[in-house]
Amino acid sequence: MANIIEVAHLSYRYRNGEADVDQRPALNDVSFTVQAGEWLAIVGHNGSGKSTLAKSLDGLLPFSEGTITVGGIKLTPATVWQVREKIGMIFQNPDNQFVGATVEDDVAFGLENRQIARADMVPRVQAAIEEVGMTEFAHREPSSLSGGQKQRVALAGIVAIAPDILILDEATSMLDPQGRRDMLELVRQLRADQHLTVISITHDIDEAANADRVLVIDDGRLVEEAAPATIFAQGERLVRLGLDLPFTSKLQAALRQRGITPPDGYLTTAEMEAWLWQSLSNT
Amino acid sequence: MAISFEHVTYTYQAGTPMASTALTDISFTVPDHGYLAIIGHTGSGKSTLIQELNALLKPTSGTVHVDDFTITPKTTNDDLKPLRQHVGMVFQFPESQLFEETIRKDIAFGPQNFGMSETDANHLADEMLTTVGLDSSYAERSPFELSGGQMRRVAIAGVLAMQPQVLVLDEPTAGLDPRGREEMMALFERLHREQGLTIVLVTHQMEDVAQYAEQVAVMRQGRLVKFGTPQEVFQDPDWLRANQLDVPRAARFAQALAAKGVQWDQLPLTADQLADQLAARWPQRGSADV
Repeated sequence: MANIIEVAHLSYRYRNGEADVDQRPALNDVSFTVQAGEWLAIVGHNGSGKSTLAKSLDGLLPFSEGTITVGGIKLTPATVWQVREKIGMIFQNPDNQFVGATVEDDVAFGLENRQIARADMVPRVQAAIEEVGMTEFAHREPSSLSGGQKQRVALAGIVAIAPDILILDEATSMLDPQGRRDMLELVRQLRADQHLTVISITHDIDEAANADRVLVIDDGRLVEEAAPATIFAQGERLVRLGLDLPFTSKLQAALRQRGITPPDGYLTTAEMEAWLWQSLSNT
Repeated sequence: MAISFEHVTYTYQAGTPMASTALTDISFTVPDHGYLAIIGHTGSGKSTLIQELNALLKPTSGTVHVDDFTITPKTTNDDLKPLRQHVGMVFQFPESQLFEETIRKDIAFGPQNFGMSETDANHLADEMLTTVGLDSSYAERSPFELSGGQMRRVAIAGVLAMQPQVLVLDEPTAGLDPRGREEMMALFERLHREQGLTIVLVTHQMEDVAQYAEQVAVMRQGRLVKFGTPQEVFQDPDWLRANQLDVPRAARFAQALAAKGVQWDQLPLTADQLADQLAARWPQRGSADV
C-alpha cells in the first residue's frame, strides 16, 4: 500500500516572541510514514509534542526543519490549502470548533468554503448528518447538544467534505465513557465506508488499541513505533511515558505481587480470562 | 453529618412558562469527613446538585444542610460569605478562571477578597502551592506559562487557599493525561485523609469511584436513583448498563469470570481487590513454588 503521509526529520520550536525561542524543541527530528487506509495512534503524555505533530500535518504550525508530504504533495506555504483539502481534523473541545447557528449550517460550512453549489450541498449535508445519526438534531443549535453529540456533528462536517485523512486530536478525551465508545465505533464505521486513513492523537489506551500501529512520542521525539500489543507489553515503561496501563497488565502486576506468575507480555482481556479460568479449574 | 439533603427539588425559572425541573425530591446524607462520588449520564442533574452545596442555586423546596449551614428556599444572599468559604468549588476546567499576573497573586486573590491581609494571603498562597505539588519557584511566574495540568493545580490551590472544609470537584481530571489524573486524585485523597476534608466528586471515571469514594450517588433525569457504597452500587451491572453507566474494569472482569462459574465473596472493584480474591482461591498456592 502507498504512503499517504511521509514525515521526514521534522523539528519545531515554539516562539514566545521575535528573539525568545523556546530552548527545548517541541518536536525533535521526527520521521515516520502512514499508509493509505491505516489507523495510526500517536500517544504520549500532556506536553510530549503529539498535538504539535498533529497541527504540523495540517499546516497549522510553520515548522522550520524537515518535510511533510501528504498524498504526494509536499507541504509548503504555497500548497497548504491543497494539503488541507485532504485532511479533516477534530479537536478536543467541541465548543471551539462550531461556527454554524444550527447543526445543518455547521456541517455545510466546509462545503460553502469549497464553493460547492447549493444543489449539491443540500443532499451532501443531509447524507453526512444521517451518516453520524444526528438527523433528528439537524435544526438544533450546536450549543444545546451533549459533548458526544457535538463531536458527531464535527464528524458530519468531515464526512461532508470527504477528506482522505481524519485526524482526531484527543477528540474523545472530554466525552463520557459511553460517548467515547460511540464515537470510536462511528469512526471505525466511517473508516470502512469512506476508506479513510485515521490518525488518532490520544492517551486513552482503549482508543490506541483500535489502531493498526502506535507511535509513542516523548519529549518531542519518536521513541517507539509498533503494534498496540507490543506497546502494551511494555508495562511500567508506559507509566513512565505518562500513559495508562491496560487493565490486564495491572492485574498481571497485582498477581505477581501476590506470588502468582501469569504469562509474560500483553494479554487481551479474553486471553487473561481464559488463563485465569484454566488455572482456577486446575485443582 | 457533613451534608444532608432533605427532599430537595430545584426548578430552573420556576413560576414561568420556561420552568424545568432539574432536581426532584433528593434526600441523602454524607457523614463528617465523607467522600461522596456523584455519577450519572450527561444532563442527569449532577452539576445542578453540587451548586446547591454552596447556595449558588437555592432549593425551590426542601432543605440542604452543610455542617452548620442550612440552605432553604428562603435563604437570602446576605449571609452567604461564610458558606462560600466553607464549601470550596472546583468547576470544570478551573484553569480558565486564572487571571492574575503571577501565580502567587492568583492564589492569594480569594483569601484577600475574604478579608485576609496581603502578607498573610501571600504566605498562604506559597503554602498552597506546595500542597498542590508545585514548588515555591513558581510563585513569581505567570500562570499562563504553565502546562494545562499545572494551571489546573494553581486554580485548585486558589480554592484551597480559602481553607474550605468541604471540597466540591466537578470532573477535576477531565483532559489530563493518565499520570496527571492519578496525581490529581492522590492530592484529593491526601486532603481527605490528612486534613479531614469532606469531598464531593462529580465524575465519569468509574475507576476513581471504585478506588476513592466511600459513598456513591447515581443521578438520572434529576432524581437520585441509587445511593450506597461503591460495592452496593456496582453490584448490578445490568442496571448500570441500562442507565448508560460503566462498571469498573475489575468488576467487569470479575463478572465475566463469574459467568464461567467463579464465585466471588464480594464483587472486586479494583485490580488489587481482584488479585486478593484470586490469590485466596489459587489452587497451588503455598505449595508448588517453594
